[in-house]
Amino acid sequence: MDIAEKPLLVAFDRDHLATLVSQLDVVDAVVGAPVAKQIMNGGIVGIEVPAAKLLEVATMLRDKVGFEMLTCVTGVDFVDHVQSLYHLRGIAQNWLLQVRVRLDADEPVVDSLYGIYPSANWLEREQYDLVGITYRGHPDLRRIMLDDDFEGHPLRRDFRMTPLTLHDRATTQVSAGRAIAGEQQEGQERGAPKRLGQGSQERLHPGKQTFGSAAVYLSTGQGVVEPTQKKPGKKK
Amino acid sequence: MAMNTTDTTHIFTDDASGLRSEEMILNMGPQHPSTHGVLRLVLVLDGETVMQCTPVMGYLHRGMEKILENRPYLAGPRYLDNADYLCPMINEVAYAGAVEKIMGVEPPPRAQYIRLIAMELQRIASHLVAVGTYGLDVGATTPVLWCFRDREGILDLFESLSGHRFTHNYMRPGGVVYDLPSGWLGQLQTWIDAFEKRSLPELETLLDGNEIFIARTRGVGVIDKEQALSYALTGPVARASGMDFDIRVQRPEGAYREIAVRSVVRTEGDCYARYRVRLDEMYESVRLVRAAVDRLPGGPISLRSPIALRPPRGEAYYAVESGRGEESIYMISDGSEYPYRVKIRAPSFGNLQILPELLRGNKIGDVIAILGSIDIVLGDVDR
Repeated sequence: MDIAEKPLLVAFDRDHLATLVSQLDVVDAVVGAPVAKQIMNGGIVGIEVPAAKLLEVATMLRDKVGFEMLTCVTGVDFVDHVQSLYHLRGIAQNWLLQVRVRLDADEPVVDSLYGIYPSANWLEREQYDLVGITYRGHPDLRRIMLDDDFEGHPLRRDFRMTPLTLHDRATTQVSAGRAIAGEQQEGQERGAPKRLGQGSQERLHPGKQTFGSAAVYLSTGQGVVEPTQKKPGKKK
Repeated sequence: MAMNTTDTTHIFTDDASGLRSEEMILNMGPQHPSTHGVLRLVLVLDGETVMQCTPVMGYLHRGMEKILENRPYLAGPRYLDNADYLCPMINEVAYAGAVEKIMGVEPPPRAQYIRLIAMELQRIASHLVAVGTYGLDVGATTPVLWCFRDREGILDLFESLSGHRFTHNYMRPGGVVYDLPSGWLGQLQTWIDAFEKRSLPELETLLDGNEIFIARTRGVGVIDKEQALSYALTGPVARASGMDFDIRVQRPEGAYREIAVRSVVRTEGDCYARYRVRLDEMYESVRLVRAAVDRLPGGPISLRSPIALRPPRGEAYYAVESGRGEESIYMISDGSEYPYRVKIRAPSFGNLQILPELLRGNKIGDVIAILGSIDIVLGDVDR
């Protein structure tokens, strides 16, 4: 407990937080091991629970401790693992709790809190859509912000912001002479972010093949430069 | 933006007389004046009764959280302007506050007071739009004109303060960008006097004295306190249902710690209560602005912050009371120039979630009245 050491930015009542921390001891019994309670800046207490125990802990927090409201669900991709974070509010006692669950990076699956907090419905759907966490037992796990046929999850760190396109046609952005000569130009991918937002570039994303993507060129044969024909940096 | 294939087994129903009645699917929106943006409601109707409602959103999704991961910290608040475009000042404070929390700094007192004045003016502007357009939704045409006339005064004040009428980009981690221009407080005084003495009572009379307005809102779309809790409703919607929850009261930040807020709570939970809470909150905001102007301290308006701001590793959850509820930012910093993850907790998104349950069993004529009373902003829902 580092309440005394770290000065809190908000002069939040120290006893108030200490009460919450002592109330949270019931979580230890459910988890079966002592859970570290971290006092965060701004009068928030943070705990981390194993994914298998999340449902039991959440039920306990709602019924025994008094966290009546699930305010926010956040998924974070930490590359080696994925975290699902829940912010719970106890209105009567004015408590705010952050529950953290660590998940596997390849297959992030965690139990849905919908049965305990109905507000988890859309909050979890949004994280499923954008981060790709599967909430087991969710009644309606569909994409909510993006198209149904969108592939990939944008808030994953490996999601490419720039489309993988070969700009092998003459455009205003590349050297006209080289484009007319049909030469492959180097460094095109690096230049792509600057052109995002202009015209059809805007609609490109790596999941779905749309007009302008390399895959469409290759399948229709429009303006294709065979990858084997050219050697990068070698002038014809 | 997903829409599942609707289950058609329940579409045909036989009643006792043996007559077959058919349920009708009605698409309301996305281009519909009463959805206050690009929201699509797929309504399954039995006669005039709504049996099922599926909101379809995402038409305005701009990937704001992904954009923010790729922008330096000082460039962040500008994007929050477009999230809830009726409360830009308040959203900017949420972003700036989260960065300050991670860094463990506080803006100077003058900046905190300027923030409070800007936030409360923004709240008035937001509630004016909410009340005005709500009147328009349920059949009172005049209030919207008066509301927008009064809001014009606030936008003028913001323009001379920040240079912009809508996307202000005025808050920054560590304080505010510009000090109050000379004569601004006098301008504010003139506007707020006229607003409190004339415009606001007029607006109140205009709506409370309108029989159609009362008839269409009283007892319509009742949300009880348990529902409000379980659906995590916040803001005027929750306070109209007897939930005494206001971030400014429960977890005050900045100048709100010195100027106490009296939260407006009603217990009816119907559309009228939600309108009434917003109206009373405007009176309260006027009082807060006056109190802040009286106590406005001198001194610097911002901490000195480098352009390439690098907060230490850490995380923060910072909540502010926006015009529609709890707007909070959960931010993770990995010590670089760019935030690792920014999660925007949008009040409109949270409040909209109760709509399917609220509409079930209601007449289709009440759909507009109920939707309007929740006061959503689609930029905030979709982000």
